[in-house]
Amino acid sequence: MTPYGVGIGWRPEIAGFVAELPGLRFVEVVAESVHADAPVPPGLAALRDRDVAVIPHGVRLSLGGAEPVDPDRVDHLAAVASLLDAPLVSEHIAFVRAGGVEAGHLLPLPRSREAVDAVVANVARTQAALAVPIALEPIAAVFDWPDDELSEAEFLTEILERTDALLLLDIANVYANARNRGTDPLALLDALPLDRIAYCHVAGGAEAGGVYHDTHTHPVPEPVLDLVSALCARCRPPALLLERDGAYPAADTLRAELDAIAAASGYPAVT
Amino acid sequence: MTGDLAARPAGGHATGDAGPRPAGEHATGDLAARQAALVAALTSGAAVPHGFDERLVGIARDALLRKRAGEVARAWPLLAADRGDRWPAVFMEWAAARPTNGSLRDGWDLARSLAPRTGPAAAELAAREAAWRYDGISAPVPRGRLSGWARSVRSGALWESGGLWTRLRPKD
Repeated sequence: MTPYGVGIGWRPEIAGFVAELPGLRFVEVVAESVHADAPVPPGLAALRDRDVAVIPHGVRLSLGGAEPVDPDRVDHLAAVASLLDAPLVSEHIAFVRAGGVEAGHLLPLPRSREAVDAVVANVARTQAALAVPIALEPIAAVFDWPDDELSEAEFLTEILERTDALLLLDIANVYANARNRGTDPLALLDALPLDRIAYCHVAGGAEAGGVYHDTHTHPVPEPVLDLVSALCARCRPPALLLERDGAYPAADTLRAELDAIAAASGYPAVT
Repeated sequence: MTGDLAARPAGGHATGDAGPRPAGEHATGDLAARQAALVAALTSGAAVPHGFDERLVGIARDALLRKRAGEVARAWPLLAADRGDRWPAVFMEWAAARPTNGSLRDGWDLARSLAPRTGPAAAELAAREAAWRYDGISAPVPRGRLSGWARSVRSGALWESGGLWTRLRPKD
């Protein structure tokens, strides 16, 4: 992917703030929030006019579901990518529904051969409809399945190799999982194919009930920024994106978070 | 390297009797059933499947309900405000065994069951009932002449302000 530097998740609530960022070169929009058969929302259209890349980020495909991915959802993602002239799209290595019931959230997969096969088949179905590459994002999980056969790095690497997909590495998820599992986040970075990273997510979270939650509504903690630096020291990703999904702070606070990501990664400030 | 539940210091009681098999005997080809059992535990009050850490799955279930409470509060701001600080608890109790049908319908179903008679919450419900036809089973449909207005909301200037369509749109 083009080295876009630091970006931010575009949300209607902060559209005004995002529109004013002078150095911005890419944003992400939740794919399901865009209507494929309507004009591009004005805020996004203005960004496109400035040559800011807009990446549709799907949250409800359920690529990790045992059932085949819904063709209508795949078509929608492809249509939104085309509408926005997106250089790539992204989705999660997760499932969000099963047995006809919506979970309402991204749920973890067992790290098993069977789950790898399910993801690979669904990614292939999705890629068949897409004119652009897809990047896959590992999620933050509060719990794991009891019968994992593969390590996280083995699980992810096998999926990426078999699908030829790119990696959307969420540094906050790496931090959350390592903290909750008591594992070393740097060991995971060392075991992942970092050269496949299309871009990174950076987000805030908070601890509750003895578990760190990747909330996207709290400030980005210092250890996450340290991990950004550690990642960039190994292999700097082409782009990093701040995700904020509620409890939106004052513009100055958001600007400071974007600047902190720029400082941690060595990319120019976009503010 | 990651996720070894047996080695995790917190939450050591990995029990539960919903699973059809003893731990470690997972036949291949049952991913669909196992995913459905997990979703049922998280959304429908079903038992936590065998082998999962009940404490952690419970934390995930509560986080999910709290997230839904926030989403429904955005779709039904006056209903939520009517309950004040008790809103998350009120919603979470009501939703504990009810999988989501999207924030609009979830809030609508809860509003009908709470049946506010006076005040802003009652007015909010009445306005929705007047503008949309909702049978409690499938997605609400705009009534009569309002359907044209609803279509204009989809692509119009309200997108920019970020609110109304996001709040009103039925979730598929």
